[in-house]
Amino acid sequence: MSDPVYAHMLTQIGTADDIKTLRGLRDQIHRQMEALLLECPVERLYSTLNEMHDALIGRVMVLAEEQMARSGNGSPPVPYAYILFGSGGREEQTLSSDQDSGLLYEDPDDEASRDDASRYFRDFAEIAVQMLQQLGYPPCDGGVISSNPEWRMSLSEWKTKLNGWFQDPDWERVRYLLIVADGRCVYGELKLMQAFQDHFYSDMLRNPIIVKHMLSNTMRHKVLIGVFGQLLKEEYGQDAGSLDVKYGAYIPMVNAVRMMAVQSGLRESSTLERLRGLLEKGKLSSEDAHAYSEAFRLFLRLRLMTTERSVDGMFANTGKLASSKLSKELTDELKSSLRVGKKLERRVNKQTT
Amino acid sequence: MVKKLVLSLVALSLVFPAMAFADPTTTSLDMGLNALWILVSFILVLLMQGGFILLEAGSTRMKNAGHVAGKTIFTVGLGSLVYWAVGYGLTFGSDNAEAGINKIIGWGSFFFEPAITALEGDSYPSTIYFLFQLAFAMIALSIAWGGFAERAKLSSYLVFTLLFTSVIYPVIAHWIWGGGWLAADGAQDYAGSTVVHLTGALAAFAATVLLKPRIGKFNKDGSANEILGHNQVFSALSVLLLWVGWFGFNAGSAVSVGDGFFGYVAFNTQLGAAAGAVAALLISWLVTGKADITATLNGGLAGLVAITASCAFVDPWAAVVIGLVAGVLVFYSVKFFEKMKVDDPIYALSVHGAAGIWGTLANGIFATQVLAEKVGVGQGGLIDTGSWHQLWIQFESVVVCGAYVLAASFLILGVMKMVMGFRVTEEQEIIGLDLSEHGTFGYPEQMKKVQQNL
Repeated sequence: MSDPVYAHMLTQIGTADDIKTLRGLRDQIHRQMEALLLECPVERLYSTLNEMHDALIGRVMVLAEEQMARSGNGSPPVPYAYILFGSGGREEQTLSSDQDSGLLYEDPDDEASRDDASRYFRDFAEIAVQMLQQLGYPPCDGGVISSNPEWRMSLSEWKTKLNGWFQDPDWERVRYLLIVADGRCVYGELKLMQAFQDHFYSDMLRNPIIVKHMLSNTMRHKVLIGVFGQLLKEEYGQDAGSLDVKYGAYIPMVNAVRMMAVQSGLRESSTLERLRGLLEKGKLSSEDAHAYSEAFRLFLRLRLMTTERSVDGMFANTGKLASSKLSKELTDELKSSLRVGKKLERRVNKQTT
Repeated sequence: MVKKLVLSLVALSLVFPAMAFADPTTTSLDMGLNALWILVSFILVLLMQGGFILLEAGSTRMKNAGHVAGKTIFTVGLGSLVYWAVGYGLTFGSDNAEAGINKIIGWGSFFFEPAITALEGDSYPSTIYFLFQLAFAMIALSIAWGGFAERAKLSSYLVFTLLFTSVIYPVIAHWIWGGGWLAADGAQDYAGSTVVHLTGALAAFAATVLLKPRIGKFNKDGSANEILGHNQVFSALSVLLLWVGWFGFNAGSAVSVGDGFFGYVAFNTQLGAAAGAVAALLISWLVTGKADITATLNGGLAGLVAITASCAFVDPWAAVVIGLVAGVLVFYSVKFFEKMKVDDPIYALSVHGAAGIWGTLANGIFATQVLAEKVGVGQGGLIDTGSWHQLWIQFESVVVCGAYVLAASFLILGVMKMVMGFRVTEEQEIIGLDLSEHGTFGYPEQMKKVQQNL
């Protein structure tokens, strides 16, 4: 997409008055992105794509606020931050990412306004999630979504929640900590997010029990390369012969890099930014940082080539790369990148045990 | 009182003269021990049907479980009667011993009426030998059912039992064990890698090809779906049952206690099975990244199938090698048949077919001269003697037996398919054979719930 076209698009998103218009714009972006897939460098592609997503989601927040006002609920009683987790948080959304979200709002002064705020944001999140669904963002299966009260709280409630996770860490709670580590404010009050992160990045993250659970969470998905250097493909079903790029290449690498970044107190949420940060902090040699980044770029590119399926009008994706798309050169490139991923996996495993 | 006792003792000694001279000769003691061991072996091999029941039921779905398990009891019953009436006579009948036709088929001893005790000079009673041989025929039959699973009509089980037990199995058994032409050539198949396992597997192959894959096994684009069995614990337990029963199968095939050689056979059997299970788990782990339980179970069985031909002919190290190769072979064989779009629900083609061929050929490679002379069949293989002769004989017996079984099975099942129909209707297959063939479910509570949800 050339810059003027792109700027024009952002303006259009920023002034769209209803979801239907936004959906039309999103469909248009998709068509253009698919054409760009092969020519554009992958990082630029992702940054363009994610800015588009951010703009769309941001516009939805404005529209949701308007609808709240129209139905007599007024404007937000306190400042808030709409947070993206998962790939949205890492600025690694593909054309078909789901909604992993949360909501954080400033503490109201007194009891009465606390209830008001709680009620306001409950209705607001409900509307926002609905609108995003109409825009083609499927809700998160795991319930990490702002309409879920567990992920929609005031700052002090969030802090209490984090403390609870820190003090009594089990596998599941540490999983939540890792989800939070990818959080990014997509719309609203940035300062709130900073305050939240100040609380999150503490010595608690280096508690041996937390580290242990983080590692087992991180190592849950393995790089899909066998001992003979072969690709471990799907054997059965509709996707037989495909490689699960999402869980067999991309996620293991995301997890490993996040583990290192969190342990080093880095606040970046995108994987490539984290690698850059690790290099600057001297946690990685420039050689390694380069190799990991290159491998990750390939995985990002392949993710955009995975099988798309439209489910109930929403953009969904199997995360699997059909064998027909794997040319000989690509297979070789993928294998060597997976070996790099495997090396990183082993490194993280060794460093933290 | 004393008078009565003496009188009855006198009377008894008239009926059983041996009691009066209660000093058994070495030969009769030997005969007795043989008889006992062979009968125990018969029981062990018969118990392997329990293994097949669990294996087949565990590897298939809940809606077919009662049918799959129960039909084995029926076919063992029917098969026993047919083998008694015809099968045994065609295998071991000696009325035509002098005629040239005996090279092809035996004749006589139909509706077998054995002597009630061992005859003078016999090393075991023919009753027990009959039972032992019968159990083998029934194993081959149960292997064949692997190709029928989850979609064949019950009536086809009935008809095929009649024909398999009378004209397919006895021919092969006669050729190799009944003094037929392959026996004369010195083909080594100690306990039946070819006779029992390959024969059963090829009948299964013909059946599964003629029946076509189960609904939902393959997608339109040719990719396979995994139809998981409903109970992996059954499957694992079945492998142990079969493994235990196999000591009757192999060590029983010594048909004597004698100098204790049957112990050596048992020893090699254990090594082969163990190596097969280990190799299969490791290869699946290495190749797919996941240690596969089904592959491991298949590997143990493949090790047993492969060592069946060679257990009496090879050194212990070779038994381990034969088992290891069988474990790897069965893993790739399963993949191969899937790629060929052959639906093999119980993995009979790979476990009994591929491993059966390997086990038979392995004799030609690993048999030692000393053991071949000890058993008195054929000669040493390639490694021990440097001669290709035995390997060629083994190859010949696999090809010839395979061709006969394949041709006969395709003919019989093909005619059955035309005349009476072979496969249940689509609706019956979906609802499950428990209900369509028998009217009740093997798992009533669970299946009723499923039906209500439909």
